[in-house]
Amino acid sequence: MGMQMKRWLWLGMLVLGLSGGAQAAGFETRPATPAPELKAQDLSGATKTLADYRGKVVLLNFWASWCPPCLREMPSMERLRVKMAGRPLAIVALDSAETADEVNAYLSKMKLGFPILLDPDGSNTKRWKVFALPTTFLLDASGRVRYVLTGPTEWDEGEALAIIESMLAEMPGKAK
Amino acid sequence: MRFFRMLFLSMWAWTFAAQAEVPDHRVFPAQGERLLLWVAPERGRAEPELQAAQRLAEQGVETWSLDLVSAYFLPQLASSMDAVPPQGLVEWLRAAQASGKQVVVYAVSRAAVPVLRAAAALEPAERQRLCVMLMYPNLYTVAEPLAEPDFLGVGSLAGLRVQVLQPRRSAATPWLPGLLDHLVKQGATAGHVILENLREGYWMRETPTEFEIAESRRMDAMLLRELNQWGCK
Repeated sequence: MGMQMKRWLWLGMLVLGLSGGAQAAGFETRPATPAPELKAQDLSGATKTLADYRGKVVLLNFWASWCPPCLREMPSMERLRVKMAGRPLAIVALDSAETADEVNAYLSKMKLGFPILLDPDGSNTKRWKVFALPTTFLLDASGRVRYVLTGPTEWDEGEALAIIESMLAEMPGKAK
Repeated sequence: MRFFRMLFLSMWAWTFAAQAEVPDHRVFPAQGERLLLWVAPERGRAEPELQAAQRLAEQGVETWSLDLVSAYFLPQLASSMDAVPPQGLVEWLRAAQASGKQVVVYAVSRAAVPVLRAAAALEPAERQRLCVMLMYPNLYTVAEPLAEPDFLGVGSLAGLRVQVLQPRRSAATPWLPGLLDHLVKQGATAGHVILENLREGYWMRETPTEFEIAESRRMDAMLLRELNQWGCK
């Protein structure tokens, strides 16, 4: 069999395989399961855990300052924070496996009003089984993982905002 | 006489068939004792890789550059690497070893999968003579948030020496110990080097840092340094 023929056969097999396995990108719904432990220091050195955000919907974003898609979605998270002021939503950005200096270098150029946590040894990244950046978890007020998104989005509009609003709507009256 | 003629023709036909399976690659000849088999990632071969291969040859390291995407006319996807038939690479490795030079394979990203499969398909004595450097290898079968990672089984790597080059700025860096454990469980001897201040594929980034641009231009020096420090012979 000629090399050219083999190439076409391989291509055909791949196209068939890919079309069978294709899935729409976007938020992944998860059965409500307790979140893994989160234990990390913020930039002032204070230790934070999920208990600090109990009673709120939590947007937990794993990111890094070297990751362009992570930085692309950061402004929309800040706009979401402003839009949701006074409502029980906590936005938490956990930097994966970088030093405080690296994170501060980015924050000197980009002002963010939500807490930034550090994970210099990657221990939280591993507990949450994060393999790509950004990865974002949406937790309900009971601390259960409800949605996962791998990759960036515009957090203050569209599907992301609708999901957050739906999670807030599940809460007693104060969320609305 | 007729028997020998048939035998000769059979051997010629077999040899031709085997050679036909060797994937197309670019050769950068050199007189030195080392031969580097450079297997480009699933995104295809980038210009800085060719330039580095040329400079390596100028420094005495013969380099064979293989772009599997182009050689097998595949889409630029990680899954394409999994579809590469191993036999062609096996023949390629054997052809390299037949040169008499010290062969080191350097595979990038998901290209690690067909390279390791080919190494596993070698005879044990052939495998023990091979050194493999993997740049941020991707061997995952499953890498889903909140789920334990699962790595691809490629077959026995007993006797194979593997060195992983891992850019620090990568989501895979925290998972490197698990990857090395997996290679060891498959029988390889595995070590690693962290490449500071670099991201995966730094030589083909859309928005590289100044340091990445500089490192792209001296990729040959980085590879020579790592080859020498590793000392795999």
